[in-house]
Amino acid sequence: MAIRIFITQFANIVGLLFILLICAITLLAFYGLIAFEPAGAVPTDSNAWYDRIYAIVQSPLLKDDYFHSILLFSIKQALLSALISTVLAWPIARAIYYLPKVYFKNTFLSLSLLCFVLPTLVLITGFVSLLGLSGILTPYLGDHWSLYGLQGILIAHVYMNLPFAVRAMYNQLQSIPDSSWQLSSQLKFSTWQKFSLIEWPAMRSNLSLIFGFITILCFNSFAVVLAFGGGPQSTTLEVAIYQALKYDFNISEALTLAWSQFAIAGVFFIVLYRSSSVTWLSKNVAEKSWAPRPNTANRLLFYGIYIIAFAFLLLPLFSLIPGIFAAKYTISLLTNIGQALTLTLALGLLSACVAMIISYAIMLPIRHCVLANNTRAASLLQWFANHTLIAPAMVLSVGLYILFLALIDLDKWGMIFVVLLNVLLILPFAIQQIRPRLMQYDSDYGMLYPSLKLSYTERFVIEWPYIKPVFLSTFSLTLLIAMGDVAIFSIFGSAQLQTLPWLIYQYAGSYRINEASFASAILLLLYLAILLPIEKTNKKA
Amino acid sequence: MTTSTLEINQLRIQLGNNTLNYQQSIQAGQTVTLQGVSGVGKSSLLLCIAGFIKPSHGTIKWLSTDITKASIERRPVAMLFQENNLFEHISVQRNAQLGTKGISLDEIEECAEQLQIADQLSKMPAQLSGGQRQRVALLRTLLRPEPIMLLDEPFAELDNTTRSIAANWVAKKAKQHNKTVLLVTHQMEDVERLADRNWLIGAQTF
Repeated sequence: MAIRIFITQFANIVGLLFILLICAITLLAFYGLIAFEPAGAVPTDSNAWYDRIYAIVQSPLLKDDYFHSILLFSIKQALLSALISTVLAWPIARAIYYLPKVYFKNTFLSLSLLCFVLPTLVLITGFVSLLGLSGILTPYLGDHWSLYGLQGILIAHVYMNLPFAVRAMYNQLQSIPDSSWQLSSQLKFSTWQKFSLIEWPAMRSNLSLIFGFITILCFNSFAVVLAFGGGPQSTTLEVAIYQALKYDFNISEALTLAWSQFAIAGVFFIVLYRSSSVTWLSKNVAEKSWAPRPNTANRLLFYGIYIIAFAFLLLPLFSLIPGIFAAKYTISLLTNIGQALTLTLALGLLSACVAMIISYAIMLPIRHCVLANNTRAASLLQWFANHTLIAPAMVLSVGLYILFLALIDLDKWGMIFVVLLNVLLILPFAIQQIRPRLMQYDSDYGMLYPSLKLSYTERFVIEWPYIKPVFLSTFSLTLLIAMGDVAIFSIFGSAQLQTLPWLIYQYAGSYRINEASFASAILLLLYLAILLPIEKTNKKA
Repeated sequence: MTTSTLEINQLRIQLGNNTLNYQQSIQAGQTVTLQGVSGVGKSSLLLCIAGFIKPSHGTIKWLSTDITKASIERRPVAMLFQENNLFEHISVQRNAQLGTKGISLDEIEECAEQLQIADQLSKMPAQLSGGQRQRVALLRTLLRPEPIMLLDEPFAELDNTTRSIAANWVAKKAKQHNKTVLLVTHQMEDVERLADRNWLIGAQTF
């Protein structure tokens, strides 16, 4: 008995320690940012933190047109991307909802998930092959067409986030009970009444959340802007930090930009955090027994929308094919890709494993607080556990980079930081995904298992089959996200060892688009191999 | 004078604006039925004795030992809840074995036979009717080693015949193992069949 209580308390303490550790790493990153003496800042003799922060606030960069232009562009492209994705997703979600038996619907939904988690570099290669200078569709787009600049960034961001919005909205529509539709038919509702009284209320609650989430993702976007942006007219804060650090080695500029990025992302996050999480990965609700049938004109319209959306998602992926055939398969190419693939998998697996263990451990004290009806403590712990959502990859990376630059050989130890930061960044996602399942378990059985006086092992043995499907699908998704990282690797990666996304970036950056296509196809296949079982698990769950 | 073994002394539970007060002494081996209108605090009392609700005042003693502040795991209590007594993702037999250390599978099967659920053991809980699920939970609770049984409406989902079988089985097992039973019910026939004493809970004070 005493051992059982000790183990339970010990497990809670381990969870708390992990939360403290995450906070400590963030604090270290910020210590790195604050403690650094900005060269261009107002001189100060004091070492006090507030003086340092004052110096950052007073940085001449903040008054510079260059900074204003970057800041405006960051916000503008994020808001536009979110707006276009959300607006376009609505008719697509409606089309697949109102065409429940449409061909390849499950493939479309799986493809949507793939597009959302797909490493940006694969997508970039696809778009360059399709719409770049010598792209397949470029001759039909007029003389003034260019993939580079705002339009390219928007297309890529919409491609990545539209599928997320479609899945989230489709899940919302699926949650409308059959009885609502039956009642509306019985009451002979007009189309407008059906929309305003049934569809809109189901969508409304999550619409702003979907918009906000995509805005944050696009605001923190790195690889797309790095590839399609350029010059102060189309650069975001995230890319500007990278350029300041890696190309100009202007740490004071990187520091000011990182702070600005943190402050704005923080505001977005706080707004979003006040709302509940968007369900987008939830299992596709089983066949509805009763759903409204659109009239013929609407059916044709929905089919048209569905086909266009399918084509939009498939085209960049298919456009990799010509490059694959045209690539020169040298030993060096295959060796490079093999090495990069191994490193990508190793880093991804390590990050995902650690993140899953930590997320489960972190949930223990949170669950304990919820069961004890201490919701305030539970919220506080959750906030601390999820706080890395505020600090974008680049901000944390820059802080730790600056701090450790003088202390250790970062070329030698960089990979440890890549794993550590990846863990930190996928952790909120892992927690968000496993939390509802664990909470549901506690809500159903929270009184039963203490009442049965089960040992800690017995508890886990019973709990595991319940959480296993969600746990494994979350593991796979965190693995995919970690494998697709470019931002962290761009700071801490070594010149000798490359991950596959970084290798694709190198090939694409040196106009070796065929090699980039081949490497992208390999990564795409790997993603499909990991993703398809997730979708099967989700359907079974 | 008889010595009580479960002593509920000036117990007060605060549920929002509702204050619930309890005072009772129950002898070991007695079966006490709890009755009262909905919302009067019957289930809350059981949850408090089991350790799920903290009282704002008073004590609960078992064999003169104060268990008011003991953790759920340390209390000499086995409880049957109104719902969610079975883990849905493990088999009925596995559910029945939980918390019944030292009880052989043969004994579980024998009791299942008596409760007319022997055919259901290999199934998953979702395949059972409400009444069958309730009897599985009842079986497990009565076979557990703890001396105090808290049964919150254990026969609510049973038809008259099954209700009678289950109630007689509970009475037999409770006497056989000298269990102290607190049982919430709305049916007078349960009181007549099982109770050594009926505790009518009202909007009472100490």
